[in-house]
Amino acid sequence: MDYKIIPSICSYCGCGCGVLFQVFDGKLVGTLPMKTHLVNEGKLCIKGWNLHEHVVSDKRLKSPMLKKDGNLQETTWDEAIQTTADKLKAIIQKHGPDSVGVLASAKVTNEENYLAQKFTRAAIGTNNVDHCARL
Amino acid sequence: MEEQMKEWPEPFSTTGGKTSMLVTMQEQVKEWLDQDKVDLFLGYKMVQKHPLPHCFTKDNLDEVDELIAGQARYSLEKIATKIAAERPEIKIGLLARDCNQRALNVLYVWNQLNPDNLETINVNCCPSKLKEHGDCSYLEPEQVGSFKKMIGIDNIIEVKAAEEFSQEDRFNRWMYEFQKCLKCYGCRNICPVCFCEECSLEHTDLIATGSIPPEVPIFHLVRAVHMGGRCIDCGLCEDTCPVDIPLRLLYRKVNETVEDVFGYVTGTNADQSPFNLLGDEVTLKIKPI
Repeated sequence: MDYKIIPSICSYCGCGCGVLFQVFDGKLVGTLPMKTHLVNEGKLCIKGWNLHEHVVSDKRLKSPMLKKDGNLQETTWDEAIQTTADKLKAIIQKHGPDSVGVLASAKVTNEENYLAQKFTRAAIGTNNVDHCARL
Repeated sequence: MEEQMKEWPEPFSTTGGKTSMLVTMQEQVKEWLDQDKVDLFLGYKMVQKHPLPHCFTKDNLDEVDELIAGQARYSLEKIATKIAAERPEIKIGLLARDCNQRALNVLYVWNQLNPDNLETINVNCCPSKLKEHGDCSYLEPEQVGSFKKMIGIDNIIEVKAAEEFSQEDRFNRWMYEFQKCLKCYGCRNICPVCFCEECSLEHTDLIATGSIPPEVPIFHLVRAVHMGGRCIDCGLCEDTCPVDIPLRLLYRKVNETVEDVFGYVTGTNADQSPFNLLGDEVTLKIKPI
């Protein structure tokens, strides 16, 4: 029997509420609000309360999906990235950089968001970059 | 970030050292684990400067030196019920404040925990109707702003004071509080005595889905009715409510009625509850409503 409480930060939005994951015999079974956390002081919204569910969900994608012959199929990261790069290049060549837009996410780190805008501006060459929290 | 960290003083410790009470507590837990009186002990430990619930075991006895009473309060008994549901044979030790102890009594009554498999170390606790003195300063009520006092309900007033408002005023005040609800289900999720496998608050025939706030006041009154003879006035629900609905006051009123009608003070002992009509054999498996 192994029961652990693992402190973490909610990944749903940019607030950064403190959460505690309940891990029972290596399996994530529940989420609790962290009472002493500065941001949420023991409170959570419904998404935070159910944070563990998307981690253990059957519907969670565990590999990239590529549409082949009209159907989404599992593929490797190498193939997914190569396909994306080829298509982006083709689109930019045909319609120009401003035909591409990038939406960043509150669910990733500041550094990853920085990379997303750098990629958009420097690699693609457009200012069409925005963030899911603005939607 | 570091400087902003709030200090969470220990009820038992003084600056620079452990008090004898804390040491006694740690020694007792070590002895219990070592002699297999309990298989695990649920207490608190400082992790990344936060007092967090922690499960101490025999495999890591030295870790018990880090056991603290913890200034922040979590429902350790709810964790115990989850462990007991998976592994009923396990003997659980528990750090129990008064509120934990009252919750345990209710959980014994409803067969969610077996008192033979549970040992507690009792520590002093928070102020409540059932105990005036308390060391758990974390639960000192927060001050309520003037706007809420004017059109809503001050979270720290007594049932009597709340009843002094005229009926219409009282209704409007409660409706103001209820319509703030985000339907986060935090009050139910954190509640140590909420253990039903199927919850009325999630039943689509009773509570419509897809809108915030939920149907008021029905949503809150359904929960309030279910708290009769169950609520042990620990205040965790109100603590976790993102919009500060005075839930504790509401459930106090419900339990006052239970006391008047049945003479039953919830949580004071592990005797049968007047609501436990099915007796000892009750199981709370999923059943159709």
